[in-house]
Amino acid sequence: MRSITISWLGWREVDSLRVPEKGCALCEATWGDYWEDVEGQRMFFCCDICAVEFKNMIREIKDQTGWNIIDEIKMTGDYRGRDCIALRNSEKYHFFIRFGSRGQIEAFMAKIG
Amino acid sequence: MWLNRNITKTKTDPKILAKLLGKFFDLGEENLQSWVKHRFIEKFYGPRPHPFVEALQHPSRATLLGYVVEHQHFLKQWVRSCSFIMARTDATDVVLYELDNINTEFGGMGPGRPSHYELLLRMGESLGLERRKVLATPPLLETKEALQLWDGICQKDHWVEAMVAMHGLELIANRNLRKEGARVHYFDPTILESETVTEATKAFLREGYEADVGHSEEALDLATKYAGQLSILEDVQATFMKSIDAFDHYLMARLERSRQFESS
Repeated sequence: MRSITISWLGWREVDSLRVPEKGCALCEATWGDYWEDVEGQRMFFCCDICAVEFKNMIREIKDQTGWNIIDEIKMTGDYRGRDCIALRNSEKYHFFIRFGSRGQIEAFMAKIG
Repeated sequence: MWLNRNITKTKTDPKILAKLLGKFFDLGEENLQSWVKHRFIEKFYGPRPHPFVEALQHPSRATLLGYVVEHQHFLKQWVRSCSFIMARTDATDVVLYELDNINTEFGGMGPGRPSHYELLLRMGESLGLERRKVLATPPLLETKEALQLWDGICQKDHWVEAMVAMHGLELIANRNLRKEGARVHYFDPTILESETVTEATKAFLREGYEADVGHSEEALDLATKYAGQLSILEDVQATFMKSIDAFDHYLMARLERSRQFESS
């Protein structure tokens, strides 16, 4: 299982997401050159669709959990669907997510961890 | 995105990328038919078979209803696609092939041999879904987008490209793929002998199981012949790759639709 975001204390001394050193924040591909500000920091994505997917995923996790900050998201799977665990402090939130062709969330299911 | 899914996720320099792409499209010792099968198996029947195929191994009522609702749209487009191919070719063997295919899939051959379309609707009815409701339900976005892509291919691209783009998809139910590396069948064939699904479901699944070996392989034989004669092999390969991407999304739409039936 890979981990794509890790909690850290950013330079502004607020909790923020740390993106992988290399590759798209969502799929880890190193193609492309698309950047967006997400959760207060500049993030690299391989394409605009991955950026939309990532932002939609963050928004949905926050809506579902009530968290205002996410420490880490562990993901397995691919474009056909990803099994994920979002972490915040000692809390864990397990879910499955799948995106449509325009980056919209097509399936989101909370799972029992 | 295409490179990520088919070649590599790692950015490479143009020379290496050119080699990787060359290798991907190179037929080597294969012909077009075997290349198409190889790519199809890789995408839908590889180490992680497509989620819809996994769901169809021992299908729930919801899975089958998701199939019915989205597939009726697919089959309507299917007739349009085959008709465009017929209208745009001057090859008699292709016209005859498409006529037979349209009859099997949509027209039917009399009361004793209903079409695949009719069998699909009967499967829905056997599971409690009225055909008027099926016919009145618009396609999901992913289905709609896939249908638009196929319609465009069949109207605008060469008819040989259209043939492979459409009939290559019939490989999904080709039981011979198991001998060529597919990890599973489209569905577990033992369900045809069991009591776990309705008789109408068996009739629908059996029809595809029996017809699609011939359908897909005969079409690919024809396409292999004409793509070679017309020297449009690479165009055909590229269009096929677009088509199976759309098919991947379309199969996901069937699953998405089936979720709507899970609690009903």
